[in-house]
Amino acid sequence: MTEIGQRIVCSGVDFQSIQDIRFKTMRISVNFMLPINRNDVSAYAVLPAMLCRASKQYPDYTKLSQRLSELYGASLKADVQKLGDTLLLSIWTVGLADKFTLYGESVSKELAELLCNIIFEPPFENGTFRQNDFRQEIRQTVEMIDSEFNDKRIYAKHRCEEIMCCNEPYGIPRFGSKDSVRKLQPDDLKEAWQRLITHARIRIMTLGNCNPDLVFHDFQQAFVKVGRSQTVTCATNVITEVAEIKEVSEPLEVAQSKLVMGFRTQIAAPQKEMSAVRLMTAMFGGTPHSKLFLNVREKLSLCYYCTARYNRHKGILLVESGVETKNIEAAKKEILHQLDEMRQGNFTDEEITSAKLSLCNNFRTASDYLGATESWYLTQIFMPDTQTPEQAAEEINQVTREEIIYAANQVTLDTVYRLVGTEEE
Amino acid sequence: MSLHAITGKRVGDTYYEVNHSSGLKIYIYPKENSHSTYAIFGTRYGSIDNQFRRSDEPNVQTVPEGIAHFLEHKLFESEDGDAFARYAKTGASANAYTSFDMTCYLFSCAEHVKESLEILLDFVQSPYFTEQTVQKEQGIIGQEIRMYDDDPQWRVMFNLLGALYHTHPVKVDIAGTVESISHITPELLYRCYHTFYDLHNMALCIAGNIEPEAVLKLVDQYCKPAEPFTVERVFAEEPRAIVKKKVTQALSVMTPLFQFGFKEEAGNDRRSVKELVCAELLLEIVASEASPLFRELQEAELINESSFQYEFFEGPGYASIIFAGESKNPDAVADRIIKEVNRLRKEGIPKEDFERAQKAVYGRNVAALNSTETIANCLISMFFSNRELFSYIDALAEVTLEEITACLKTHMLEEYAALSVIEPIAPMEDAK
Repeated sequence: MTEIGQRIVCSGVDFQSIQDIRFKTMRISVNFMLPINRNDVSAYAVLPAMLCRASKQYPDYTKLSQRLSELYGASLKADVQKLGDTLLLSIWTVGLADKFTLYGESVSKELAELLCNIIFEPPFENGTFRQNDFRQEIRQTVEMIDSEFNDKRIYAKHRCEEIMCCNEPYGIPRFGSKDSVRKLQPDDLKEAWQRLITHARIRIMTLGNCNPDLVFHDFQQAFVKVGRSQTVTCATNVITEVAEIKEVSEPLEVAQSKLVMGFRTQIAAPQKEMSAVRLMTAMFGGTPHSKLFLNVREKLSLCYYCTARYNRHKGILLVESGVETKNIEAAKKEILHQLDEMRQGNFTDEEITSAKLSLCNNFRTASDYLGATESWYLTQIFMPDTQTPEQAAEEINQVTREEIIYAANQVTLDTVYRLVGTEEE
Repeated sequence: MSLHAITGKRVGDTYYEVNHSSGLKIYIYPKENSHSTYAIFGTRYGSIDNQFRRSDEPNVQTVPEGIAHFLEHKLFESEDGDAFARYAKTGASANAYTSFDMTCYLFSCAEHVKESLEILLDFVQSPYFTEQTVQKEQGIIGQEIRMYDDDPQWRVMFNLLGALYHTHPVKVDIAGTVESISHITPELLYRCYHTFYDLHNMALCIAGNIEPEAVLKLVDQYCKPAEPFTVERVFAEEPRAIVKKKVTQALSVMTPLFQFGFKEEAGNDRRSVKELVCAELLLEIVASEASPLFRELQEAELINESSFQYEFFEGPGYASIIFAGESKNPDAVADRIIKEVNRLRKEGIPKEDFERAQKAVYGRNVAALNSTETIANCLISMFFSNRELFSYIDALAEVTLEEITACLKTHMLEEYAALSVIEPIAPMEDAK
């Protein structure tokens, strides 16, 4: 059975445990939140992976990796995401539950200690990050930014968001620019690290088959030593007005063009109407029985994928598709036409029921995966109330036809981004 | 019909195997506290099967490249609507995939499991193809193929397979080409369907919150005894040697991508559990993040942590060991891999490296049993390759250093290595 526990570690730092012994693994994550800011986003974004390179006990990447192998192939990973206008930095570890080790070792105890060590006691040299680790991390971050360009679907989505939110923190790429990453110095990272552990909003989570008390204790001790200052405030600006539709086309030597349309929904979490936007998005383009799938793909045969996704933190909705260059305008026209159908209420009760079933199914399935469960609760951190998947499903089931139509009528086109393939057929 | 229980002594789980009277093989892995259930209905039929011989016919038949994948798309449609519309009434999240050697239809759901399973069993056994629906699909799959044409990860792999294999169809893109799929007709689809979607050639695997009896009741209802014939996969003779040492393509990328592969011995039979375990462990020892090779490549700034990976890629009539990643100098990476393998052959594998790798691989394989999705997918691919899930985990715990050393002697030989590189289109583009 699942048991959810919530405790305070210290000011600005809380601890959430979701214990569930049916899993063969346990997961611990430490999540830092700060406002996105062009000046320091790169320094913060590089930090989580930088901290995962080494610890005092395991002072280089190889030694640390060897230790993780010994701990039954435990993983230690860093992640950088945007939660609305907030930067979310995570370091997490997953390991085998103690009862499955071959020789009775306690992996969870070791991993909790390891995580504390890498976060609070980086192996500094002359009071700052070591030059060699630093150089590796900067090079690899630049290469990772480059590789995001390789996947044109992701690249086009990012470009649309950048253009659409060019005057908002959300429009800043999660690692900042390549240039700002290259300009960093070890001391910039050290300063960012100090601010991160003393000022960021922090949530520590343990999930799965492990005893949370042990982990809580380790982190409580660590934060006592750190001494926390005033926690930063994280807020997201939800734009509701569109003065002018932005249209941007960029040519590229690729076979398939990409069309990404960015809309403002004017509604974001924790507003109550958010559930209606979620449901409306599922009906519009979130499932293989949605309007976009059935019309743009199945009826007109224009594309392989055409999907709508709602970002409830930022209150924006993106429609993405991959099409032949000559079909871009036809696809755009049909997407807008289908949105109009939603606005006018041209959908059946079956369409509503199907979308409800599909969303509720996704919510309930998430609890079978530790990563998805972590994300479920973590992304609610700025909400006044925490919902379980069951409660969210209930809310979705109460949405009415009128609320769906209302939500669709709030959706306003903001940006049309076209990545235009110039390669001949 | 009897349930045969298979228990993993190390992981403490049990799943059931059933030989159904229809000819269908069934595996059920109950997870009583799971919220969701994941089911796969699949056939031993993939992209490599464009030449085959039925046991009840004398001749070999050749069909267009990409037809197995095309058939997968088309099976979702039936005379009275498509399967997605039916799943819409249960809320299940449904999908399908075609790989080199199998085609699988799947769903995952938290409620209405029985109804979803009925849909799965029914639509996969109800083919319906017309001129018009085939034509419509050519447009959609055409866009899928174009999408993969731009995908450097996909291209670098197929370019490598083309450099390793002379005749084996593993080198052909799973979806075929816009040209090859233009030859697909309803008649050909029916022909392939009735050849490969015979229940004797298929399996149903379910993991999650479900009672075995409930599954069997539905199968009794939906699966009728099938014609007992067999299908033989026909491949032209594949030489042991590779085609060429290096293949390069320019695409819209910022850093070069590479795949460096060794063509390994492959017969008509699949590798045993023991052989597979040896190969997986050997790769962990040679190239994991804890290895001397990884350290050397990283310090020389030749690879990065987010992209470097390796696998033992094995199927009917093909086997290779592949290293992949992004690198400014793929030739240097290939060179250092060869040198490291030669060094290990000469100096031997240190015992502590072996023990560490064994724990790591063992732990990851046990951890994978959290997921109903992983379990169901493993069960079906293991059935089609004549392997068993728990004996794989046991073999990992029991393998010896001597066995790994023997594996190193016969694998990753330099003369069978090829390098595939995707280069940026010159001049180097710069992302925004």
